[in-house]
Amino acid sequence: MTTHVRPHSAFQPDRLLFVIGAWLLALIWILPLAYAIWTAFHPSAYETRFTLLAPLTLENFQRAWNAAPFARYFLNTILLVTMVLTAQIVLCSLAAFAFARFEFPGKNILFALVLIQLLVMPDVLLVRNYATMRTLGLVDTILAIGLPYFASGFAIFLLRQTFKTIPRELDDAARVEGCSWLGLLWRVYIPLARPTMLAFGLVSVSHHWNNFIWPLIITSSVETRPLTVGLSIFATTDSGIEWSIITAATLITSAPLLIGFLLFQRQFVQSFMRAGVK
Amino acid sequence: MIRTQRTFPADTTGADLRLSGLCKTFATSTALHDINVTLPQGQFSVLLGPSGCGKSTLLRLIAGLENPTSGKIHLGDARIDQLPPKARNLSMVFQSYALFPHLDVAENILFGLSVRGTPKADRAARLHKVAAMMGLSDLLARKPAALSGGQQQRVALARAVISERPVCLMDEPLSNLDAKLRAEMRVEIRALQQRLGLTMVYVTHDQVEAMTMADRIVVMHAGRIEQVASPRDLYAQPATMFVAGFIGTPPMNLIPRNALPGLDAPANATTIGIRPEDVTPLESGAGPQVTARVMAVEYLGADQLVTLAIEGATLLLRLTGRAGALPATLDLRLPQLALHFFDAAGHRLPSPSDLSHPQAQEHDNDQYA
Repeated sequence: MTTHVRPHSAFQPDRLLFVIGAWLLALIWILPLAYAIWTAFHPSAYETRFTLLAPLTLENFQRAWNAAPFARYFLNTILLVTMVLTAQIVLCSLAAFAFARFEFPGKNILFALVLIQLLVMPDVLLVRNYATMRTLGLVDTILAIGLPYFASGFAIFLLRQTFKTIPRELDDAARVEGCSWLGLLWRVYIPLARPTMLAFGLVSVSHHWNNFIWPLIITSSVETRPLTVGLSIFATTDSGIEWSIITAATLITSAPLLIGFLLFQRQFVQSFMRAGVK
Repeated sequence: MIRTQRTFPADTTGADLRLSGLCKTFATSTALHDINVTLPQGQFSVLLGPSGCGKSTLLRLIAGLENPTSGKIHLGDARIDQLPPKARNLSMVFQSYALFPHLDVAENILFGLSVRGTPKADRAARLHKVAAMMGLSDLLARKPAALSGGQQQRVALARAVISERPVCLMDEPLSNLDAKLRAEMRVEIRALQQRLGLTMVYVTHDQVEAMTMADRIVVMHAGRIEQVASPRDLYAQPATMFVAGFIGTPPMNLIPRNALPGLDAPANATTIGIRPEDVTPLESGAGPQVTARVMAVEYLGADQLVTLAIEGATLLLRLTGRAGALPATLDLRLPQLALHFFDAAGHRLPSPSDLSHPQAQEHDNDQYA
């Protein structure tokens, strides 16, 4: 044997382990989804019988859709994620711009506070937030589900770091050309931070699409409940453990995110790489 | 293609840029001390100095990107030092060109007009004209990343030109180009400035750029102005030892007076300056004679530079490249008319060389005040 490293022909035990590990993890990850797809598209008789020729059906979806007001839940969730993302982008780009480009007293202390927000588990604040929403008279509104997340420390931090990498001369040039501070943000900083914005948007939308515990606590009616809460109520109160219908409902609620990710997979991965979010 | 005249807003036509008592202090250091200078309308003024001399800071003060600690800036009769950059009626070209990477060439050039809300039809007409003038017509749809350094430079110039503002500031715009392109752009920028009648303020550390392009050079050193003069006057009559030792390649020889005891110099002169090309070997003529040892020879083709040792000092001598091998010692003459005298503080004293260039002195004083 020679001492050359020949990655493709020589047997490499570590490489083999990596491949096996990756496949194993992927399999464990995909199994629940695969099971959900299996049961959702087959009659309930085949919930635990896996034969290749089992008859396919869409009836489960129809029954699930009619069993609970999913249309309303969809609307609520879409309203919620749109509102949260819009508010986050507006508030956090303004804050990040100030942290990145202005000098003002207390700047470092304020930024440290923003960073501390990153370290606090949102669940710790459930009770406090509920009391606040009560005081504001917002209990059981869509606004109340989103409000605690508007000023995202993560978004401020991420955008500040991105803004700081933008060359100072671009800033100077835009000001000489007549930009106001807001014009500068709009015409130079935000367009150049687009990959970061896109990556953050994906994280934010998927997080709030899937968020469960806070919406469960703050909502109590069909008009406000997002999909996750609606789904859990559907799954528990529908008494009978009809897996085929529950999995059909689950697929319905997660389908938009799944389809969206498959469609824009390349763009998402690229902007994650560019934005340095992992 | 070439437009010979253009109109500027009436209130700034014929406006000189006047800086008076300008100081800039940063947290840890003072960048500029009491800058007083007038940069005349329609002229090419170069701020020249080694790095860290405050020339870029001065340009940023004029642009409004920094605020002066004290002092005033006037453009014509209007005081502009408290105005934001956009209200100062000037354009600027940056060292890195500062092109917006997310906009194509046309959008980059039109950035300022679009910010200021210039009507679309007007924008298109001006873009067409400027792009043709700068040779960018075929590149308008490209992104800056797809352009060469020289093309990016042209886009940056076009963005400054299309604003049609009377004052143009440039911060070392040629330092990122290779030598050949730099020589071409020097000529082009100078021609552009003259054609458009721009009041140009150009920062550089490269004396070749300064000497070839400027109507007027402002030499700066350690946050102060050393001298303001035309390139010829600057070379012929440096006002301080710093300027004498900075301008010229190689710069002027500055020799302690004690090393040249035979020389006829004023009592308070402590340093005597003479340019390498003015030292003449082995020839008869006016001026005292010095004997020097040859230390080293640098052959450059057309010229050769000879390093000579005289008592307690070295002296550089420029000879034509055709001169043959040199002996170990040379007899030199230092022509009286080529001598420059400096006092202990480094300021120029009345010198014999003033006679060979008589108009310079009054010119300097007039502009420096």
